[in-house]
Amino acid sequence: MPVIPAEQVHAGPHPTQEQIVQTLLAGQTLLDDTPDHVIQVVDVLKSYGEVLDAYSINLIYQAEEQFLNPFPVLKYLDGDVSPAKLWRHFWHDRINFEYAEYCMKAMLWHGTGGLDEYLDSPEFASNCEAIIACKRRRDPLQGLLHPLFPQFLPELIRTAATTHALGQFWRVMSDLFIDLAEAEANGEVTSIAGVVDFIRDRLVAAAGNPITYKVRIAGQDFWVLPPEAGLTFLVDVAVPYVEAVFLRGTPFLGTVSFNAQAKQISADQSSFKYGALYADPLPSMGAGIPPSLCMQDMYRHLPERLHNWYQNCTRGEGDVRVKICQSFQKSMFCVTNAAIKGTFPHPLDSTDQAEQEANAAYANAWASRLVVARTNALG
Amino acid sequence: MLTALLLIPFLGGLLLLLLPSSVAPVRMRSVAIVFLSLQLLLSVALLIPFDPSVGTPQLVEFTPWVSRIGLDYRLAVDGLSLPLILINAALTLVSAVCTRDFDQRPRIYFSMLLLISGAVNGAFLADNLLLFVIFYELELIPLWLLIAVWGGANRGYASTKFLIFTAVSGFLILAAFFGLALVSGSVNFNITPALTENLPVATQLVLLVTLLIGFGIKIPLVPFHVWLPDAHTQASTPVSVMLAGVLLKLGTYGLLRFGLGLFQEVWPLVAPWLAIWAAISVLYGSLAAIAQSDMKRMVAFSSVGHMGYVLLAAAAATPTALLGAVFQMVSHGVISALLFLLVGTVYRKTGTRDLNVIRGLLNPERGLPLTGTLMILGVMASAGLPGMAGFISEFLVFQGSIQTFPLATLLSMVGSGLTAVYFLLLVNRAFFGRLAVTPVEDPVAHGRLDVQLAAVAPRETIPAVALALSVVGLGLIPSALSRISDSATQLMAQLPGGMG
Repeated sequence: MPVIPAEQVHAGPHPTQEQIVQTLLAGQTLLDDTPDHVIQVVDVLKSYGEVLDAYSINLIYQAEEQFLNPFPVLKYLDGDVSPAKLWRHFWHDRINFEYAEYCMKAMLWHGTGGLDEYLDSPEFASNCEAIIACKRRRDPLQGLLHPLFPQFLPELIRTAATTHALGQFWRVMSDLFIDLAEAEANGEVTSIAGVVDFIRDRLVAAAGNPITYKVRIAGQDFWVLPPEAGLTFLVDVAVPYVEAVFLRGTPFLGTVSFNAQAKQISADQSSFKYGALYADPLPSMGAGIPPSLCMQDMYRHLPERLHNWYQNCTRGEGDVRVKICQSFQKSMFCVTNAAIKGTFPHPLDSTDQAEQEANAAYANAWASRLVVARTNALG
Repeated sequence: MLTALLLIPFLGGLLLLLLPSSVAPVRMRSVAIVFLSLQLLLSVALLIPFDPSVGTPQLVEFTPWVSRIGLDYRLAVDGLSLPLILINAALTLVSAVCTRDFDQRPRIYFSMLLLISGAVNGAFLADNLLLFVIFYELELIPLWLLIAVWGGANRGYASTKFLIFTAVSGFLILAAFFGLALVSGSVNFNITPALTENLPVATQLVLLVTLLIGFGIKIPLVPFHVWLPDAHTQASTPVSVMLAGVLLKLGTYGLLRFGLGLFQEVWPLVAPWLAIWAAISVLYGSLAAIAQSDMKRMVAFSSVGHMGYVLLAAAAATPTALLGAVFQMVSHGVISALLFLLVGTVYRKTGTRDLNVIRGLLNPERGLPLTGTLMILGVMASAGLPGMAGFISEFLVFQGSIQTFPLATLLSMVGSGLTAVYFLLLVNRAFFGRLAVTPVEDPVAHGRLDVQLAAVAPRETIPAVALALSVVGLGLIPSALSRISDSATQLMAQLPGGMG
């Protein structure tokens, strides 16, 4: 028996799978194209862009500067351990990097796409051996650990690689979202369709960006993700990210035991529906539900226009994190929409029957997953 | 000083009645609050001349009135009545402060509230049987009006039921007092055990039983409780606060003051039956509360159960039990007032009190988190958790009664455990879980709430927060109350009817 009745969680108007397929094939937007939606999506993505900028810098810092550090207690400080920074950190006047790590762990755990394949390859294993051999010579703790637990350090390197790759991915997305806000401010983007097209164009433009990662140990450079691995932005990182964070996600820590008892957690990892598109914007008192730290971070960077818009609905400042979460979910549907639009196997205006069928099958595959997402946010 | 406790609310009520109707309702409420604040200040000031080491009535004010029929204006206060004077002043002020939606005849509404408060003061201070009855009856009509005019949809039925039951209660009490005068051949209605000294046991028993039924209706005890859930359900929140917090205490006060106080010789004869009656009331009230789906009815039935503890303590009549009875009257007054206030807040914001409909109100962003927090505190106090007022009172009652009536006390303890059951059901259903997401026009019909709940403004929570603080304060510093009442309850227990 479900803990939360489905009719309560998924209340409101929902499109059918067929309607979603038709929308995608017609090149229309999933999200209703209204002026309010434009304000919400553009401004919340702008604040998200600011947050992603910090996330990206920190993830890359962690991967490069805290590499194989057994006690990375200062990893969130980006190398600045001044008293002022420490004070702001412990006073919680800061970006919460915990959510960034959550996303990284979700990617690592679900492990889809080219990045994950490479992390399990013999080439990667030999890279790890070289790195570990160098590291062991200077670090007695790791020298002891590696023979005892030979999978431990390679797993930490996999984590670091995923951390770095996500940092690179968010670097692109941060710039994209801030540029989107600028384009909207300049009148170049005026509708949800314009937003989706802007994101799609930038994703396609960045699709081939190489994803690489090297570390420096004792003055010597070691490739973790070498250029010859051929990892690229869209296929190897962006798509696995969407799969892990937008769609699958992981049950939040506060609900794991609760949901497991209610038999709500599927044994099949690929059928998980805990991602951003399925998230409940309304917190229900459990720890970290929904990604409230992320909402708090966006709240700190909320553009004035959206802040004012929030003041005039529901409880004003009182439930602002819920409203940010709702707007964020709408914006994530736009990003998903853009990703789908940019990855159709064939042009949507193709007249070839076989291509049309391939497109329809592709749209149907997405629609089957989206139809059970929180599509009441689309209206 | 005691007379001023009558004059202030009565004059305030009169002034409100004389105000032109053009005066804004909010100003009328301000006038009422000023008078009620004065009343509270004066009630607290009573603590200065009051000597807690004296168990007998003190600060006596006496003026011959209609002495030919034994009616004299004689007021006094002791350790039994002073705490009740204080909660009357405090809870009437809370009722006035928490009154919302007072656009309909605010002059009469607030003057009735003041009139009730004055009459209740009079009943607690009266040191003359007839004077007590006058004040006891005086609060009846204003309260009936408050339910009949400002009540819910079914207010006609509930108010009539209330009127019939409490009128019968008043009649039985008056009949017992007149019967006492008739058989004793005395026209002295001053409250003294000497009134019953030379009466045959059978006569005393008849008079005592009449009195017990009279006060049993007011308390109310099973099976005379049937008016209470309806009255609470239909009454507005401030009236429920008064009803549960103050007016029920007239019954328990009368039970102790006149039942135990006047009929000392036969009290030990009826005490075992009273203990059984108490256990039945406690268990019935608790079990009936479990069966309720209306939050207000659940709290109302909890009152039936909790008033049973006072009867148990009165039956045992040991010093500890009687002190527990005073504690129970005060703590129940404050806790039930808090719970009714919070249920009122839930109803005002959600439009329903149906536990089959309400969910997730503790939601920190879109629910009623402070209301939920205070509700959890209130139900913990009501269930007698240590550190809060309910624990002290129940502990004293049980400790004081267990040796005299072990079975009845154990059964009442089971009732106390059941309090935790029904209030946890309430909290679990209404406050935990997830808020519904779809706005609906008729929440009950749809079995779902409108998620767009308006936030509770901080000023709306002030009365509830103040009551919650008193609940904790009384639980942590019980000596504040025991200092006042200890001598009076010791004295009462040493009377021939007592077990001290």
